[in-house]
Order: sequence, then structure tokens, then C-alpha cells
Amino acid sequence: MNLSAMLNGASATAPESWEMALSNLLAAPVAIPLLTAALILLFARWGGRRRIRLQGVLTGLALFLNLAVALFLFQATAGRGERFVLQMGAWSAPFGITVYGDGLSATLLLLTALVAMAVYPFAVATIDYHRERMGFYPLYLLLLMGVNGAFLAGDLFNLYVFFEVLLMASFVLLTVGAQPAQTNSGIRYVVLNLLASTVFLVAAGVAYGTLGTLNMAQIAQRLPLASAAVRTVFAGLLLVGFGSKAAIFPLFFWLPSSYHTPPPAVTALFGGLLTKVGVYTLFRSYTLFFPDLLIDWQQPLLTLAGATMLVGALGALAQPGIRRLLSFHIISHVGFMLMGLAVALSGNQLAIGFGLAAAVLYLCHHMIVKTALIMAGGAVELYMGSDRLASIGGLVTRQPFLAFLFFLAAISLAGIPPFSGFVSKLSLLQITLDTRHWLVSGVSVFASLLTMINMIRLWRESFWGEYKRPGRIPSRILQSKARQWLMLTPIAVLVLLSLGLGILGEPAFRLTTRVAQQALDRQAYIEAVRPAASDPWSVKR
Amino acid sequence: MIALLLAIAVGSLFASGAYMIMRRGQIKLILGLGLLSHGVNLLLFGSGALTMGRPPIFLDKKKYAETLATVVPADPLPQALILTAIVISFGITAFVIVLINRRHTITATDVVHGELVPLLREGDPFDFSESQDTDEYDWLAYEVDEVYDSDESLTGSTQRPTSEIDESEAMKRVDYR
Repeated sequence: MNLSAMLNGASATAPESWEMALSNLLAAPVAIPLLTAALILLFARWGGRRRIRLQGVLTGLALFLNLAVALFLFQATAGRGERFVLQMGAWSAPFGITVYGDGLSATLLLLTALVAMAVYPFAVATIDYHRERMGFYPLYLLLLMGVNGAFLAGDLFNLYVFFEVLLMASFVLLTVGAQPAQTNSGIRYVVLNLLASTVFLVAAGVAYGTLGTLNMAQIAQRLPLASAAVRTVFAGLLLVGFGSKAAIFPLFFWLPSSYHTPPPAVTALFGGLLTKVGVYTLFRSYTLFFPDLLIDWQQPLLTLAGATMLVGALGALAQPGIRRLLSFHIISHVGFMLMGLAVALSGNQLAIGFGLAAAVLYLCHHMIVKTALIMAGGAVELYMGSDRLASIGGLVTRQPFLAFLFFLAAISLAGIPPFSGFVSKLSLLQITLDTRHWLVSGVSVFASLLTMINMIRLWRESFWGEYKRPGRIPSRILQSKARQWLMLTPIAVLVLLSLGLGILGEPAFRLTTRVAQQALDRQAYIEAVRPAASDPWSVKR
Repeated sequence: MIALLLAIAVGSLFASGAYMIMRRGQIKLILGLGLLSHGVNLLLFGSGALTMGRPPIFLDKKKYAETLATVVPADPLPQALILTAIVISFGITAFVIVLINRRHTITATDVVHGELVPLLREGDPFDFSESQDTDEYDWLAYEVDEVYDSDESLTGSTQRPTSEIDESEAMKRVDYR
């Protein structure tokens, strides 16, 4: 392949060829799922159950490779503090496609790989043959590719393209099967997400029209020279576009109206990955483009964050089903992350970026625990044939292990020590209190209390009381021990990860602090990408 | 002047697209999405600065050097961006049309409706036993052809799909070929 690379000059100890090989690895999280999906669609598309099994094996292999690459990148960036830049086809920065990976990207890549890997056995156990035949596995991989690409994109237009890739895969994953509820929710999801994409594309157009570039490093370079109006419009458009992907307060309506309709495995994947792409792009764009707006706009951002937390938790309280409740609750957590972004720059006299560090830690906790919880809720739904809280109950006597896992995941989400929820909420709260934002800290504590109430409600309605099983259960779930273990093992692994993240809270926070400081170092980003100094833009205007 | 016209065109495309999206019919929804994407494409087109008589690509090197000495040639990048955006919006529009068609055949309605959840009720606000929620669990509907461990499947109604019955009945006929 005609790939060449440049690397941050800081790590000059390694030989040049090794560095280039490492940077080429940045393409792998996009290339692996794409190539595997293409392979499946080309050679294993048609045929019966044996072909489907082949698809499943290939998908598992790709997910495993992706996890290995993500681990390696995480170790190199977040662990050793390196930055990788890959200029595709050796075109220098503003002209070619820039792929950029630092600690923040690698953290999200790693978590995405983990979530995809964990949901995969659950999907194998629970997705029905018809959906598998309609291309469930290639879609799974393409969704993964879009998410990974969005984390690695180094310019706005490629970010848009990867957004569209992941949206397209999620549209199909949401609606494949074409049940009435799925098509209903599919239309809402598609239209609202398309509107968000449109707003984001307008932002890209504004950036190109006023700054003459789409490369993120060059935008960061030129934005300080632009007028206040341009900066405000650009920041506002990005906030609306990315914010509605992230499901922040007034723009979240696509989420609770669609997440409960596909099979639980798809809900778990969406709940773990999709909104987080929006959160990541908010983190990236606001820390890279407008670090000053993080101070100027702190009050509005905090207001949005508080409203998001409250509305998410209160809305979840009124939901009648397990998956509806859990997916509504995602919104509340996005509010916490937004609160972390609003105080991103805060720190002590030794270092800045503790706010962003806490937000990143919260993001890690959320992705792990939310996926585990949605999978556990999906397992309850499968054992009960229904997830209506009013009509189920008493599962604790029949499925004690599932009940145990659900309980652990629920108290981790609610923030009880020694799980990761406690550490991440504590660090966020501490930083908000340190910066004297009393009101929003109070709101976050109240939202945590509501989370606890929600979790208690879920637990009480589905596990305690008299055993009630309203619906029919697909026998392939109950008759096969292997399927049940495929369902429960990933939940157990994720719960153990959450426990580990909680017990190793201090080293984890130190790691995310390094990640946050790396992300906040704009100069280093620009130097790593090294956009060409002069181009026609300066002449044209 | 041209820039003003372009701005007016983009604005009216956005306005009419937004209006169409907010109406209830689904065909109008598709039209609205199309208008919006056209608006964005025009906006991207305008972002490359409107120039006249300055082609971006010259075959003649000397002419290129001459032109470059006086003015900056037109920016070809927005057209590439628009092309990408057009392809993406084409694919998505196709998907939306198929989705809406599918929904129309399933539910026999053209109206995008929300879920009607009564917010204020008498008694316990969290008692959902009465709520009419038709949306749920029909992702399981595909599995009706599999055996369930419920009582109905044990009583043994061996009803085959109608297509299969038709086929076997037809085979009994003398003139079956």
C-alpha cells in the first residue's frame, strides 16, 4: 500500500520505519471491519445456516483483531503519550486525508472494541436466523467501522462521511426485521439524525467558506484569526449537530423513541456506542477549536448539562419497560459528560484538564456499565417474553446468576462503591464543586439519586415479588445451555471490568488525566498534523 | 449580486425543507429531506467563493501561469464535497423511501404519528398495567415459526403455513404438473 506517515517529533528514539509502521496501524480499526464486511458480503452472503456460521466466525475474528489493535494503540498513546498521524497517500495535511489518533481517540477505540466484543456473543445467542440472513453481521461490522472512523478522522468532511456510514448501518440494524414498531421508530430516528447531519454539514460548509479549510488542525490554527461572529456561528452549529447525536437536552427525542424497538443485542450496541460518538466529537471540537468558549460559554453549557441530567433521569422514571427506561437513562449520563466538558479546563496549580479527565473516566464507566445493563435487561426480557415492568416479576428465584449480575451493574450505574460509577461520579462532582458550580453539582447529585430510584424500581419489578411470566419464550434460548452462557458471560466480564475500574480508580484517573492533557494540548495537535503553511486561501481573501 | 441570489436560494430551500418535514404526510417528509439536502449542497457550493471565468484546471501550462499571476483560479474542492454529499443523500433518500413504503404496507397509514402516552392519570402515576402499548416485543414476532415452550405449542395445533397447504393440495390434483 502506498501509505506514508509522519509522527510527532517527540518520540525520536524509535527508528523511523517502526514509527511509520505504527502510524499505518491507525488505518486498521477502519480497514479490519470494512474488509471483513466486504468479504462476508462477497463470499459468504448467500446460503443457509452453515454460511451464517461462517459469517459469525469471520465477524468474531475481526472483532478480536480490532480489539488487539485498539489495545496496542491505547498502550502507545494513553500509556506512553504518543500521537499518531497518518497522511493517506503521503499527501500533506490540508490536501490529503488525515487520520489522527491520540489518547482520547485510542481510549474510545478501546472501549468501542470492548463493547463490540462483549455484545457480539450476546447477539450470536439471541439474534434470530432471519435477521442473520438479512446481513446482521456485516452491518455490525460496518457500524463498528463508522464509529472507529469517526474517532480517528482528522478533518471535518471525513468525520461527516464516517458519521453517515455509522448512521446508515444503524438505520438498517434498527429496522431490519421490519416490524411495525421498528419502522415507526425507524422513521423518527432516521429523520432526526439526518437533520443533525445536515446541521453538521452546514457547519463544515461555514468552516470551508470562512476559514478555507476542513482540516481540523488547520481550523484550530485559523480560528483565532476569524471574527467573533464566525466563531460563534461555527461553535453553535457544531453544538447543535454533535449535541443531537449525543442526545443532549432539547435534541434527544430520537433516542427514547427508537432504542427499545430492535432486538436487545442491537439496543445494547447502540446504547454503548452511538451517543458516545457525539460526546467524543463534542469533546474533540470544543477542546481543539474553542478552548476559550469553554470558559465564555460555561454557564450555558452547564445549564444544558443540568437539564439533560434531570430530564433523562425524570423521563426514565416514567418509562413502562426495562429497555425504555435504560435507554431514556442514557440521556441523563450524557448530561454528566457534558458537565465534565463544561469544566474541562479546570484544575489546580500543578495541572489543568481534570474536568475533561473526569468526563473521560465517566465515559469509560458509562460505556461499560450501560452495555452490561442493557444486555442484562435484554436477558430478562428474553426469559420473561416481555419487558413490561408491570407484568413481570420474581425472576430472582429462577435465574439467580442473572439477578446477581443485574444487581451489580445497577448499583455500579447508580454510583455505589466499589464500582466504577462511584469513582467517576465522585471525581466529576469534586471538580464541579472545586470550581464552585454549586447548583449544577446539586442537580447532578439529585440525578444520581433518581438513578438509584430507577435502578431500585427495575430490580424490584423484575426480580422480586411473585414469579410472573406473561409472554412466550423462544425455546432455543431456554433449551440451549450454551446460548444462556453466551448471553451471561459478556455481562459478567463487563461487570468485572467495572469493578476493576472502580478498585483501580486512582491509576485510572491518572491515566485519563494524561489523556485529557494530551487532548487539551492544541499546539501539539497542530504540530503533529503539520498543515502546510501557505496555500491559496491567504491570497484569495 | 450572485452571492445574494445564492443566499436567498439556500435560505428558501432550507425554509421549505423545514416546512415540509414538519407536515404529517410521509411523502412530504421525503420531499423535505430532499430540499434540505439540496440547500446544504448549494451552501457548500457557495462556500468555495463564487468566481467567474477562472477555471480551476488548465491544460495549457503557460496560460495557467499567466492566470495565476493575476487572479486565483476557482476552487474545485467544494464540487468534490458536493458530489460526496449528493451520493450520501441519494443513498439515504433511497433508504427512507423504502422504509416508508415498507411501513405503509405494514401499517396501511401515511401519517407519521407519535406515541400517545397519557401524562396525567388518576391514581398511581407509575402503574402501567393499563397502558395500551402496542410497540413492544414484536421484535420477537419473527420467531413464531419456532417452537415455544408455552402450552399452545404442546397441545399440538399442527397448522402449516397456507402456502404450503396450497402446494400440497394442488399436488393431489390430477392435472398437477
